[in-house]
Amino acid sequence: MVTATSFRSMDATLRNRRLGTGRVRGIGHAVELSCVILLAAFSSTASAHFQLLYTPEAALNASRAIPLALVFSHPFNNGYTMSMGEPEAFYVISQRGAEAERRKTDLLEYLEPVTWSGVDSQAEAFVAHPPRSVTRSLGDYTYVLRPAPYYEEQEDKYIQQITKTVINVGGLPGSWDEPLGLPVEIVPLDKPYANWVGGVFRAVVLADGMPVPNAEIEIEYLNHEPQIDQLRFAAEAKITAPQGSFITLSIRANAQGEVMIGLPKAGWWGICALDLDDGLEYNDKELSLDAVLWIKATDMLP
Amino acid sequence: MNRRLAFYSLLLFGMSQVTLAHTPICDCYDNGDNTITCEGGFSDGGTAAGIPMRIIDGAGKLLIDGAMSAQSDFTFTKPDGNFRVEFEGGDGHIIQIDGRDIEE
Repeated sequence: MVTATSFRSMDATLRNRRLGTGRVRGIGHAVELSCVILLAAFSSTASAHFQLLYTPEAALNASRAIPLALVFSHPFNNGYTMSMGEPEAFYVISQRGAEAERRKTDLLEYLEPVTWSGVDSQAEAFVAHPPRSVTRSLGDYTYVLRPAPYYEEQEDKYIQQITKTVINVGGLPGSWDEPLGLPVEIVPLDKPYANWVGGVFRAVVLADGMPVPNAEIEIEYLNHEPQIDQLRFAAEAKITAPQGSFITLSIRANAQGEVMIGLPKAGWWGICALDLDDGLEYNDKELSLDAVLWIKATDMLP
Repeated sequence: MNRRLAFYSLLLFGMSQVTLAHTPICDCYDNGDNTITCEGGFSDGGTAAGIPMRIIDGAGKLLIDGAMSAQSDFTFTKPDGNFRVEFEGGDGHIIQIDGRDIEE
């Protein structure tokens, strides 16, 4: 198995421009997906950077305090965990019912800087333990993290991954399918917290509120379960990749910016849309603004 | 687990299609000021506004006869002694929550 360190698709923007025909206005009514199948055309021989915004459960039967881990890592092979700076924003958007108002709760005050241990590395990360009052109501809770830009030395540029994780309390849905007005984001077309293993998950990639045709997408399975209490990833991998192409799955959005992935294994899956906003700079270097969405697949059990 | 969330099973044959598609949901929490708030809705995100709410004591006596607000919630003064909350979810299907399972 290939165990490279910090691969990213350096030519993502170039390929997006070449394949794209401009952003399409309107997400559309009929969801007509030209399926982008998991394990598709673009091979990768290494793992990708993924901003993790982790909590153990995605679908809770009843309210409780929700612990969170914010780690910048490689979720499949856990080969290298990178240090995070102080996040620029960290909050949760909650909504109880389709017609209810959204509520925004800032979570920055709950961040605790920690040293997080990967299998082979340690890095600065954050955990958060917001009180139960934050998640006391029924409904959807979309956690949003805008981390500090990370300097990727190999590419001499910065990476910033605006990350969302959606959970639900009690089965009463809210705004899981609504854009949040972020500069870049992946908006679910299926509930991110209610997916059976063997099903598919669909979403649309937005930049400045508009779908991004042919966006370059990377997908990784969270192969080493985070252990928040111990500030580390589990050493044991859940699955083994037969070849490097299976570590980071690379696909394209379709012409409407829509993606669809299969979910062959229970657990968390990360979807990352690369370099969605051209021409950004940070500290006089190129800034790649990515969007990440975490979804969870659940086994069908008796 | 301190608080119990009651669900209705979808395995209720003979129900209308609407009822089958939208499962009623209700949950309550103690506000810590001698009041309790219950929230409700349906699994499709639909509102519970106007849904009948009943508070019944341990002897079966009706203490409070109310309804969910426009925001799909219902707040009442915590009764003395045992009680239960009933959320009338439609088609005679009632979610019951024991007061002893309601916590802050």
